[in-house]
Amino acid sequence: MARAVWKGPFVDSYVLKKAEKSRESGRNEVIKIWSRRSTILPQFVGLTFGVYNGHKHIPVNVSEEMIGQKFGEYAPSRTYTGHAADKKAKRK
Amino acid sequence: MSGDDRVVVGAIAGAFGVRGEVRLKSFCAEAEAIADYAPLTTQDGGRSFDVTLTGNAANGLTARLSGIDTKEQADALKGVQLYAPRDRLPSLPDDEFYHADLIGLEVMDTGGQSLGHVRAVMNHGATDLLEVHAPGRRATVLLPFTLEAVPTVDLAAGRLVADPPEGLFDDE
Repeated sequence: MARAVWKGPFVDSYVLKKAEKSRESGRNEVIKIWSRRSTILPQFVGLTFGVYNGHKHIPVNVSEEMIGQKFGEYAPSRTYTGHAADKKAKRK
Repeated sequence: MSGDDRVVVGAIAGAFGVRGEVRLKSFCAEAEAIADYAPLTTQDGGRSFDVTLTGNAANGLTARLSGIDTKEQADALKGVQLYAPRDRLPSLPDDEFYHADLIGLEVMDTGGQSLGHVRAVMNHGATDLLEVHAPGRRATVLLPFTLEAVPTVDLAAGRLVADPPEGLFDDE
């Protein structure tokens, strides 16, 4: 069952506070969070969060298309890198 | 990437059927692209194969390799990794790089101090991440592969310049 719309998106309050503090300071820093369940809000765009995956904090640069997703979706707790072969990486 | 400018693009998983076809595991971004890089060589470079894809099998592709006509010959190749020359990969636009080129590069900070070497490149849905192994550190560090965090990539010199966000390289 989907979450009721009147409640708004769920975000742990400490994530909001940390994000606000980081935006005010204007520093280029990784905001360490443990809340994988928090929803990505529009005010997080442009910030870099370090999302805990049970082992370490995975840097997640928030972009517009990530709004509405959960932080945990971008920090998998099981990873497999595989072979490089012809895979490409793009610098954005 | 191996030291002789070749990249491993796949591996032979065993025979497929009884007519000399093989099951092929492709490591390419588009699995079928492995045939475009043929002829592929073995790790020691002693054997070379042309690849003709014939279909799909569980966890891979099926293919016919030049010079392999029987099931016994195909079975003997099980586990063999297939390599393609690096220069056969198509050239890429600016700000796009092959993982094989990035792996092994030295990571320098803006002051010219070495931070470590790139061990792997990964993408979890946000930006690409460089896994940097720093000497003397237990854990690796994940560096976002963005223009802000990695302003310079110099493949010819074998290094990249990083301006990591605060706190990324500080904690163990």
